[in-house]
Amino acid sequence: MNLSLALQIQNVSPDVNLLLILPELIVCTAGVIVMMVDAFARPRQRWMTGGLALVGLVAAMAASFWMWSGWAGPREAFHGMIVLDELRLGFTFIALLVSALTVLVSMVWVEGENLPAGEFHSLLLFATSGMMLMASGGDLVIIFLGLEILSIATYVMAGFRRTDLRSNESSLKYFILGSFSSAFLLYGIALVYGATATRTGLAGTTNIAEIANRLDVSLYPPLLFAGAAMMLVGFGFKIATAPFHVWTPDVYEGAPTPVTAFMAAGPKAAGFASFLRVFVFGFPFVATVASVQGQIHAAWLGALVVLAIITMTIGNVGAIVQNNVKRMLAYSSIAHAGYALVGFVAAGATGDPVFKSEALSSVAFYMLTYAVMNLGAFAVVTLIARSGDRRTDFEDYNGIGFQSPGLAFTLSLFMLSLLGLPLTAGFMGKIMVFRAALNAGYYSLVVIAVLNTAISAYYYLRLIIVMFFRERTTSWSAPRVPASVIVVLIITVLGVFYLGLFPNRVLDAFKTRPPAVMATR
Amino acid sequence: MQQYLLTILILTPVAGMLALVGHSFAPYKRETHYRWITLGFSVITFAVSLLLLQAAHTNFSSFQFEQNVSWINAISARYHLGVDGLSLWLVLLTTLLVPISILSSWTSIDKRELSFYAFMLILESAMIGVFVSLDLLIFYLFFEASLVPMFFLIGIWGGERRIYAAVKFFIYTAVGSLLMLAGIIVLYVFYQTFDYTVILGAMRSGQTISALTKGNQTLEFWLFLAFAFAFFIKVPLWPFHTWLPDAHTEAPTAGSVILAGILLKMGTYGLMRFNLTLFPSISRIMAPYIIILAIIGIIYGALVAMVQPDVKRLVAYSSVSHMGFVVLGMFSFTEWGMQGSLYQMLNHGVSTGALFLIVGMIYERRHTREISEFGGLSMSMPVFSTFFVIASLSSIGLPFLNGFIGEFLIMLGTWMTEIIRYAWIATMLAGTGVILSAVYLLWMLQRVVFGPLKNEKNARLTDLNYREIGLLIPLLILMLLMGVYPRPFLDLSRASVETVRSRVLHTESGGSYTVERLNPQGVSPNR
Repeated sequence: MNLSLALQIQNVSPDVNLLLILPELIVCTAGVIVMMVDAFARPRQRWMTGGLALVGLVAAMAASFWMWSGWAGPREAFHGMIVLDELRLGFTFIALLVSALTVLVSMVWVEGENLPAGEFHSLLLFATSGMMLMASGGDLVIIFLGLEILSIATYVMAGFRRTDLRSNESSLKYFILGSFSSAFLLYGIALVYGATATRTGLAGTTNIAEIANRLDVSLYPPLLFAGAAMMLVGFGFKIATAPFHVWTPDVYEGAPTPVTAFMAAGPKAAGFASFLRVFVFGFPFVATVASVQGQIHAAWLGALVVLAIITMTIGNVGAIVQNNVKRMLAYSSIAHAGYALVGFVAAGATGDPVFKSEALSSVAFYMLTYAVMNLGAFAVVTLIARSGDRRTDFEDYNGIGFQSPGLAFTLSLFMLSLLGLPLTAGFMGKIMVFRAALNAGYYSLVVIAVLNTAISAYYYLRLIIVMFFRERTTSWSAPRVPASVIVVLIITVLGVFYLGLFPNRVLDAFKTRPPAVMATR
Repeated sequence: MQQYLLTILILTPVAGMLALVGHSFAPYKRETHYRWITLGFSVITFAVSLLLLQAAHTNFSSFQFEQNVSWINAISARYHLGVDGLSLWLVLLTTLLVPISILSSWTSIDKRELSFYAFMLILESAMIGVFVSLDLLIFYLFFEASLVPMFFLIGIWGGERRIYAAVKFFIYTAVGSLLMLAGIIVLYVFYQTFDYTVILGAMRSGQTISALTKGNQTLEFWLFLAFAFAFFIKVPLWPFHTWLPDAHTEAPTAGSVILAGILLKMGTYGLMRFNLTLFPSISRIMAPYIIILAIIGIIYGALVAMVQPDVKRLVAYSSVSHMGFVVLGMFSFTEWGMQGSLYQMLNHGVSTGALFLIVGMIYERRHTREISEFGGLSMSMPVFSTFFVIASLSSIGLPFLNGFIGEFLIMLGTWMTEIIRYAWIATMLAGTGVILSAVYLLWMLQRVVFGPLKNEKNARLTDLNYREIGLLIPLLILMLLMGVYPRPFLDLSRASVETVRSRVLHTESGGSYTVERLNPQGVSPNR
């Protein structure tokens, strides 16, 4: 409160700290460079753009690692618009990883499809910078900016196969519903801004930490509720929670498969990052239930519990009846958003910094495991779909188990991991999330989640059954596996086992280390 | 070395699996190489597992070969292994049955050998892991990990209705074990550890679940059910048995042997290891109901087995009946009953394993298992018939064969139990199960092995070859040995069983996992 008071009274010098947004800067610069190279390169040299994008992403990863390990400077800049904490770094890492793997998956694909490689990769990098801003924004405006940068790039990517009707449909649907939800979010932000004006004459604020301070002195508490509800809807759309999930299957099915891989893992994680930050820190837990803050906290937490249950159930039940693998994975991604919401609920339900940090890191860890296994699965799906995404039905997978054993066994591993079988990343992710929820006392929520996992066994196994237990009736020629995709598969398979067997380091890295910035602020 | 022995035991099959995959890239590979590599590694595993017996002088009264290191710091999960009298023989049974079932697949598996043997080896390491883990999370991990290879074994190499059977098997067991996972996490929330011995220690020092929930037994009751449900499905206890006939019948021979011989024991082992010791008071309350279910299972399984037209299905239903005995003995909470229960687990593994092997041999020759197709096999295949008769008699429980000792101890224990009233009624009812088992098995033998040679096709069948005789001989020796000299087996499990028994009957006694002195007046079942 003091900070913004000071800001309004004195005209202080702008609080610029470019080092604090170093990873974002690197990714943006790489995006611009890729664009320029693409403009001046001969068509034959366009493959370089993928390499350049990779270099940029790896450099950004190195920068964020440096920030994680050796940052001694201030932990926020631009007057609190950008913050630095483990939550941000965790999700930044996920965004960079997803993007890098997507580049590797699409490098050869984009050439084979005769699509403009440079445009694709620069869009991907801009989308990535949007995701990173969503994770690092300490201010609703930055989060909205990040979201829009991400969304607009993704709308284009979804419709990237211009001559394909399905791709066009996917892009248009995503665009219309996406802008609708962005409007919800923006309206929510505006309402919150209006409602956080105080009786002492301060104007409203969009700074998340400041919002939390002003909840109880708000001039118009009802507006706060409305604003929070609208933001909940906006974020709910982005991370595809039921009942705001209806766009997901169509968009995921129609978009080119590498783009689907990216959309299912990246924007969802980024959505969770800002969703978590806005609600867990902007409308935090308070012991006095009767206060405005207490009421608003109880309201959104209750809503999230319901959302989590609906999302898991609709995602899993919907996935059972699908005949298209991409649609099945779309519903499965809805279900996984539901599981991650279980961890979200746990993070929101506690004021204890240790428990809160554990729950937050469990959500980040969950999104990481989901990103790894999902990208791996989509990499295989891309290969099997061939050019033009023609073969994405379950029937197309009939009996390929022993025709292309390498691909089939890898895909099965990812299915088992998505199902959450022990030894895999998916299991460890679920354990972490469920434990956080049980620590917070949500026993029945966890039981529902566990039962949902049992439902999900049906459709994940179905793919395995189709691949291995049925005989192939039509001819099958094994797809050529480019070296870059082999790299993706190796990384994701090792990742699934590493996160499933030795999650110690990653979990520790995602946890807030004392002195906890968010807790003290 | 001592503390790494169990890890080596778990990892040897994994190494074999990697060797198989590595060999598939070799230019000089042949499909026939895979079975030799697999057999080699499984025999090595068996040899290593025999090293466990060097701790016999301790009588396995406490955990031996313990290895206890931190695994996941964030949730204080530990990699804690150990073996005691409850698990020792089950580990040995596992390592013995795997090479035998690999030998039985020698010619019957003629497609996709690499994957088949790789799955067998993964399965072996998961099964060993289940019996030796002392950390609940690791236990769950292996418990669930054993599902996947078996799912593939049934689904790829199974019979006609293999997909249905495989999915049913997977869904049934996965639902059960997921509930157990929820139970495990709840335990974790209370004790902040997954380590079984630590939780048990805390419970013994008064920190029981009901004490932590202020004397309310509701949560403890649900926890008991969460664990029990997983194990009941696995055992399977009536009425959770419906996956079993399908899975057993459709699985390839090796799969059926492993399924009946070892996977079912995970259920009874889990009940004895976890349910009885972690929730003793609820176990006492629930015992009568479980005994009723077990007796229904004994009689129902036997009656349904009687009318099966398919030999393999008959053996499958006989498993329901026999596993009912195991549960009955366990929940009698008497030394005889519980020792008999453990002994019966081994018996069932040996006898039913042998029966499935024998059924597989005849199926390989005739490609049918219909009882009506056979008759008079004793004339065309005398050696085969001899083995078949001995294995059946062992399953029936003929004195001097292993089945008798187990069933006798269980019935004795049930008769003496104080956990239910009218224990003699329970014993009588269970006794009818023994009689019925004689009825269905002898009747089956009469129709398959004896009588006139009606069917032309049976006249020209070749008798067992040396490989088939060789893989049955160890089981035959065990049947006789366990039937006439059960003492070494019972001696090594007695201390551990007694610990469980005193825990479940006298909840408050004892500080840590140590053996209380046996009652000097108590009659030992070892005569």
